[in-house]
Formats: sequence, C-alpha cells, structure tokens
Amino acid sequence: MTRRALSSTPRRVEAARALTLAGLMMLAAHGIARAETTGPASATVCEGCHGLHGEGNAPAGIPRLAGQSAEYLSKQLEDYASGDRANPVMQNFAKALSHADIEAVATYFSTADAPRTVIPSTASVPQLALGRRLARQGSEAKRVQACDSCHGPDGIGVLHAAPYLAGQSVQYLTSALTSFQLRTRKNDPGKLMTSVAGQLSASDIAAAAAYFSSLPTGTP
Amino acid sequence: MNKVTRRSFVAGIGAASVLPAASALSEEPPASPPSSHTPAVTQAAPPAIYLFFNAGEVAFIEAACERLIPADEHGPGALAAGVPNYLDKQLGGAWGAGERLYRSGPWTAGSASQGYQLPFTPGELFHQALRAIIHDLDSRGTPFSKMTADAQDAYLKSLEGGDTDLNGVPSGVFFGMLLQMTVEGFFSDPVYGGNRDMVAWRMIGFPGAYADYYESIDRHGVKFEREPMSLGEDGERHIHPDPNIPAHL
Amino acid sequence: MVQRLKEVDVVVIGVGMVGSIVAKELAAAGYKVVGLERGEARFTVPQFQSPAIHDELRFDIRKALMQDNTREAVTFRNQSAEKALPIRRWESFLPGTGLGGSMVHWNGQTYRFQANDFELATRTRERYGSNFLDPDVTIQDWGVTYSELEPHYDRFEYLLGTSGKAGNIKGQIVPGGDPFESPRSREYPTPPQKEHYSGAMFRKAASSLGYHPFPQPSSNLSQPYTNPEGVKLNACVFCGFCERYACEHFAKSVPQTIILPVLLANPNFELRTGCQVQRINLDSTRKKATGVTYIDAAGKEFEQPASLVITSSFALNNVRMLLLSRIGAPYDPATAKGVVGRNYAYQTMSSVASFFDEDVFINPFMASGASGTLINDFAGDNFDHSGLGFIGGSFIGAVNTNGRPIQYHPVPPGTPSWGKGWKDAVVKHYNHTVMFSLHGSSVSTRQNYLDLDPTYKDAWGQPLLRMTFDFPQNDLKMAAYVTAKAVEIGKAMGAKQVAGSPRKAPYTTTQYQTTHNTGGTVMGSDPSTSVVNRYLQSWDVPNVFVIGASVYPQNASWNPTDTLGALTYWAIDAIKNKYLKNPGRLVSA
Repeated sequence: MTRRALSSTPRRVEAARALTLAGLMMLAAHGIARAETTGPASATVCEGCHGLHGEGNAPAGIPRLAGQSAEYLSKQLEDYASGDRANPVMQNFAKALSHADIEAVATYFSTADAPRTVIPSTASVPQLALGRRLARQGSEAKRVQACDSCHGPDGIGVLHAAPYLAGQSVQYLTSALTSFQLRTRKNDPGKLMTSVAGQLSASDIAAAAAYFSSLPTGTP
Repeated sequence: MNKVTRRSFVAGIGAASVLPAASALSEEPPASPPSSHTPAVTQAAPPAIYLFFNAGEVAFIEAACERLIPADEHGPGALAAGVPNYLDKQLGGAWGAGERLYRSGPWTAGSASQGYQLPFTPGELFHQALRAIIHDLDSRGTPFSKMTADAQDAYLKSLEGGDTDLNGVPSGVFFGMLLQMTVEGFFSDPVYGGNRDMVAWRMIGFPGAYADYYESIDRHGVKFEREPMSLGEDGERHIHPDPNIPAHL
Repeated sequence: MVQRLKEVDVVVIGVGMVGSIVAKELAAAGYKVVGLERGEARFTVPQFQSPAIHDELRFDIRKALMQDNTREAVTFRNQSAEKALPIRRWESFLPGTGLGGSMVHWNGQTYRFQANDFELATRTRERYGSNFLDPDVTIQDWGVTYSELEPHYDRFEYLLGTSGKAGNIKGQIVPGGDPFESPRSREYPTPPQKEHYSGAMFRKAASSLGYHPFPQPSSNLSQPYTNPEGVKLNACVFCGFCERYACEHFAKSVPQTIILPVLLANPNFELRTGCQVQRINLDSTRKKATGVTYIDAAGKEFEQPASLVITSSFALNNVRMLLLSRIGAPYDPATAKGVVGRNYAYQTMSSVASFFDEDVFINPFMASGASGTLINDFAGDNFDHSGLGFIGGSFIGAVNTNGRPIQYHPVPPGTPSWGKGWKDAVVKHYNHTVMFSLHGSSVSTRQNYLDLDPTYKDAWGQPLLRMTFDFPQNDLKMAAYVTAKAVEIGKAMGAKQVAGSPRKAPYTTTQYQTTHNTGGTVMGSDPSTSVVNRYLQSWDVPNVFVIGASVYPQNASWNPTDTLGALTYWAIDAIKNKYLKNPGRLVSA
C-alpha cells in the first residue's frame, strides 16, 4: 500500500484488516487437525489462531487466552457476537457459538496449561519506565489512575474485575487500548477503560503495552 | 537490593521516579503460578523475631492473644495468624512511640467520655503493665502459658473488668488496648505482620486491597468468591511485609 | 523576627473545599489571592493510588489523612462543671488537613437541607406553639432562605457531578426521588449510582410500610462527567474504601477532581502549604483586618497583609481563629452573653442491625460512600411532632459504605467481646448483616458551646479549642423514636433478628459519630445572637468573612457538605458583586 492510502484508511479498519489477515494466515499455516485438540469441540476453531493451549501468537497480535478469567472470556465472546466489541473476524466466530459453547470454550481456556513465557521486549528503557509508572502510579497530568489498581499487581488480573495483562502481546494490548480510545470497543463496564484510554497519547499506549507485555506470565 | 520503602516513597513525593512497590523486577521466572485465581503462597509460619517483647512478655502475649481469638473449626487463631508479631512491630515502631497521640500534660483521670488520659505511649503502657502482670503471675506460681484455657480466660476477665493498678496502668485500659490491637493484628493487611496469608480475610470472605466491584455489585445475593489480595503482594502472590508504614500520607 | 510580606487582595485561611472554590472564583475575577494551608499538597497521583490507599489500619484506625493531633488537639467536657481534657486521639470526629481538606476523604453523601430548616425557629413556633421546645434549646432562623440558596445548591451539585434522582422539580413531585425534598430547579447532573443489595431489600421493606425510599445522592459518580469548570471525573467502582480514604479513580468529587486544576493554573493564586495561621490581625480600631500572621513549616513567622480575609478552614478551626484573633465577643454560658462559640451542635447518630441467615449474602465490602437507599419520612419536620415532645428527626437508610473488617464485624447483642463465642458470631454474621444508619438532627442549647481552653496548648503555644457538649433531651427523645421506626423496617425485611441502638447520653469522644461539627460562628439577622450576617460577613470586622459549617445555627437531619457548598457560592456572589465593588458592611447592624 502506498503511504497515501495508509494515511487515508481509518485506523480501526487497518487494525481489523491486520488481524483478519493474520488470522487467515494462522489457519492456513497450522491446519490443526481435530485429532490434536485437547479441549471441547467448540474450541478447535479457536486453537487455529489462539494456539492449542490458548498461548496466542504475540507477533500476530493474537491474544493469549490461557489462564484468563472464564467470566471475562465469556463476556468478550458475547460482546463480539453483539458488536459491542467490534471485530469482523471475531464476530463471525462468536456468532457461530451457542451460549453453552461460549461457556465451554471460556472454561477450557481459563484452565488451559500454557507454558511459562517471557516475551522478548524490543522496547526502550525510557518506554518501559513510562509504562511501569503508568501501571503502578498512573499520571496526574493525564488524570489516569494506576493500571494495577484494577488489573492487579504486575498486571496478573483480578477476578470479577479486570483481565490479566502480563505477558500479553504488545500488538494486541495496543490495539485494545486504541479501540477503547476510538470507541469501537464499547463493552467496558462503567466506561472505565474508555475514560482511561481517552486520556492517553499514542506513546502512552505504546509504553503501557510494552511494559505489560514484558512481564512474565503462565505456568512453569 | 534497593528496596523502596513506603517511607522513602512518601518523602519522595514530587520526584518522578519513586514507585510504591517493594519488589524489584526479577530476571528469573518465578517458581509459582502468578494467577489471581490461585491461593497466595501459604508457608509454614517461621518463628517471629520479636524486637519489642522480651521472652517473658512473649510467652504471655502469645497465649493471651490466642485466648482472645482462638483457633477453631473456622480457621486459625491469633497465634497462627501472626498477631503477636503484629503487636511486636506496632509497639516497637512509631505507633508504639506515640505517633498520633497528643502528649502534653497535665494528666488527669477524666470521665469515660473523655477517653485515654494517661501519659504512657502504647509501648510504655505495655511494658509497664506486662511487668506487673508477669510479677503477679510469678507470685502465683503458674506461668500464664501453662494454665488451662479456662484459667487463662478467668485471668483475662479479671484484667478486663478490674481496676487493678499495673504500674500506673488500670488493668481495664491495658486489656482494652490488648484486645483492640489483637483484632487489628488479625484483620489488618498482612503487610503489617499479622493476618498471615490472609487467613482472617479468607475466613469471613473479605477480598482485601484490590477492590473493583463495578460489575459484581449487580449480582445481588450472590456470594462473592475470590481469593483475598494484599496491598503488599507482587505478581507471584508473595506478600512483602512492611510494618513501618507511617500513620500519615 | 516577623517578616512582613507584600500586600495581596485576599487571604484564604484553609485550602479545602471552601477555600478552593473561593480562591478560584476570586482569582478568576482578577484578584490576587494567597491560600494558606497548614497541611501538605497532595494529588490523586501518586498519593491517592491503590492498592496502597486500601489500607484499613493506616487510614481508618491510625487516621493517616487527618489533622495532626500531636501538635493541635481539642479539649472536651460534657458539662461546664467538669474540667475539659484533651482529646488525645481522634475518634468521635476526624478533622482533615492538607490541600483539598476533609473533602478528600468524605463519603460523598450530598443532601440539601429543607426549606423548613432555614427558618426552623419561626416554623416550629408556628406549627407547634411557643412552648413546645425545652427552654434551653436555642435554635434560630438562618437569615437566608432555601429559595435564595437554591441556585447555589444547583451550581455546587453540578460542580461535583452528584449522582441522584430528583424528587421535586419546581414543585412537581417526580417518582423515584425523595418526595419530601424542597423544590430543585432541575435533575441531578448524573443518574443515581447502582443500588446495593442491602438497599434493594430496604427499598422493598420501606415501601411495604408506606414510606418513600429513594437513592442516596452520591458524589462518587455513577458515570464519567465533565463539570462546568472543564474538569473530568470517572465512574466509581464501589471499592468500599470511601470515608477516611482518598479516591484513586478520579471518581469522588473532591477539590483535586473538581476545581484544583483550574485554581492552580491561575497565576493570580498562590498556594502556600505547611503554613499554620496564628491569628487574623486587626488595626487599632479593631474593626478592620490588616491581614494574618502565620508560621511556616520551618518555624519562620510571617505577616501577610491583605484587604480581605476569608477564614474557610474546618468549622471548629474557624471558631478558634476568631477567638484567637479576638474578633467578636466570646460566648459565656453563665451569663448568656457573647456570640463566638455559641450554638455548637453536632449530629445524633443511631443505628439498627438486621441479622440474616447464612444463605443471604450481603457483600458489604462492595459499596461507595453514598450508595445507600433512604427514607426521609422521619427526618426534619416531615412528620407531625405533636405530642412527641421533640423536634427534628433522622434520615433512615441502608447505608452500607464498607466491609472493612477491623471495624466492621457486626455481632448480635449479648455476643462476648472476645474468645470462641465472638469468633463464631463474627463468622456467622459478617456477610449476612444489614446496618441502617439513622442520621439525626442536633438542636443547639445554651449549655453546648466552644471557647478557648485555659490549660492546654498547641505546639505553637496557643490555647486549644475547648468543646462543652452533651446530647440535649430533645435529641435523645428523637433518637429513641426514629430507632423504633427503623427496627420495624428491619423486621419487614425478613431479618431473623433486629437490634436497634438508639443514641444514649452521655456523648463520648471515644466512638465515631460523624465529623459534622457545626456552629460557633452562627449566621443570622441579629448581631446579638449571631457572629456573621446572612452573607457570612463578620458583624464586627467587615473585611472578614467566615465560610464553614460553623455558621449553622443548629444542625439538620442531613450531612452538612451540600449546604456548605451552596453557602460558599452564595457568599462568593455577595463578595464579588457587592462587597468588593463597595467594601463595607453589607447589612446594617
């Protein structure tokens, strides 16, 4: 694409395109056979992109699901289906699932045993420091509270409140914060994330995503 | 390791880089699963290192606290929860030395409505009273820790209801402070050295310091199920003690 | 050696809620304003952040956000015949300190007083006759009416973004709100917060008894909001660490989240923290203030000259400031002469505990400071007091603000205070109890007053404020009556056991009962029974204004903050549009 075309394409469409492309490539590259599945039948199609154990594909921006709160995963699938969380690829997958399927898939990934990972970070030291400051203190100037206050110490998540961020894909975290900012993702309780993301600059978002992504996650 | 204490954090307000956390980022992957669903690491209670209480005082305090909040089918009592350790750190710290206490005289006994009117700091009060109590128990022949539970309770009740002078401390005032601090040590955040592994919070279902209930509040009548979380825990669910948090911002 | 500074237009003593609003308005109008705050500056980031702020021992028990009582306390006695002794640890009331003042750690309960309250003496006489009250009750009219204050209430509530449901808009009763409220000009700025389970139970039970439940007006916001000053707030997440704590989420309306960004950006305003004002200085006529004297954190003494002095510190501290400055005649109960310190009142708090079976999960820890459900059927003069022998009343509500376990572990009466029996009861009842708050009015009397203590001093060598107070019979009768009514609501909720705890004498400083201390620099139309006129201007020294709950002639059935906010805008209006255009007495004596 030419630079002109890129700058005239809305960012949300770009993001969706990137994920769609990646998703299709994943399916093609992995071609997971039914026989290799360890979870319920409904999880097979998820594994194509999200991995056999929900470990995700960080560079492709496909989020890790392993160990994520089942309640959170269910809600996201319901919201993808309804459009409260806009994503053409996920919407199609979510719409194809019954409520029982959603529960089964969410439960499976929430207890999935994904290996310990530490994603190598390419972020600069100042960027990580800014991310850590936003995570642990927030910013008075930007009027945002510490991410950890809801997302837990070192971003490990807090049940019934907020998902884990630790060890999540940088690309995914960036796109999630951006989608809150652009209001293509409208499923945040109390508009809490919309309020936060609305105050952050692109470099704040990049820093927070880089920091949380650099934290260890998973089981050894 | 460069530990940033809360005191230095408070002192450094205005400096951009001071952070409230106690732990440095580790390079090593941690040994246990860092999920908020898994229980906090419950270790066998290491023996507390007492800095304020001497050995004789420890024997009384440990046994007395355990009578105030005993171990039972609901869960551990004050001793296993580390309450004597909490008392030790509070009484030996700024609080024990008179933090948040108006200390000017003259001192006159007042009415019940007028509250505490003794010149003692909490630390002084405990040492004074315990000296009298231990002396009294020595003269009776049986150390408190060797009495039956009933006998211990009877002794504590005599302190509670009585006006006995314990080196200038009315026994009811001493008992009141002991009970108040025992409840504090049981239910406060484990950073202060009590409520070990959040046993007291788990017992009653109090979720602790991470507290976003925006969605949960809609689930009327549904029991809230989540592991309690301490303000001092890190991403591996290890709790970093910090008994010197000041009683000011 | 006192250093004399360059004169400014206005000195504001105390940069809390009132000081922040006053300073912002006057600085915006072009005046040079110096704000003197005894405490330190603090902001949402980093000082209010969690999880560190969610520390019950530190903030609830040790009172970390409160005024430093090691250097300045208050002395207390129930009666004049006793010797007052220092309150050596804050318990009953908890004065704040620091930038933003006690609003930083309030609960956000935001109610207006009713029209009747502002003319309490006249209306009580009209309705119940001149002999209805006990002879030592000294309630008075305020000198200002509700309808004069209404636009200022509205302005204050929109500054905060208060979440609620109107019950009376311009005389039209609106379903879902409080039908007893006096008319407001429009809806609340944001809708009510979500209802807690205990509130839903209360609502059903109260309705079944013919009462009128409504959502508690809350300044812990239900949704994101940008106020008229352009400052943004977020939605509250019901963390249950509201009163005595600062909010990490920018969701509680406090000076830092509603006005300080605007004030601090104005170069006409200068904030000086760590400054303990010693007195307001007067000229030789003693009818004009020349400025204030203060001592900074390093112990240096300064004189700050100013054309206008506004004392906007906590109610008790306002009274003390006038006494130390010798502005106005101190009240002496023996002779009934003097006015400064007169008509001190408080709040008459009772409670009801309703105990349920262990399969009923209340989850008390999920709450904001104002996410309750209430009735005003027994508040103020909303019910006929004929034959009851008292005036006033309480709001009654399921006001669940927290489940913080050091202080909150309700047990039925008769439970031992320690041991296995206590532990059993705590486990059995912690998550299965609903607590009602009965928030009662407080009449003023001849005997309850404030003055300077003859013995005890603060760290600067100045006499402490002395408080002489006990509950009047009027209020004790009121407490017994409303508690009995509230117990019936508990029973209607289907509780297994309901225990009422009506307020009893004597008043004790050892149990928390709100920080709603009022009076001492009462406002009114008659200088012989008031310290300030209806514009909160000192009768004695026209270039001194006193803005605080110290101007209340008596206290009503509701929390004082909303009314103080309205009076602040009312006074600012008079200062900007009348006083500063033509300095002098705004009301002839």
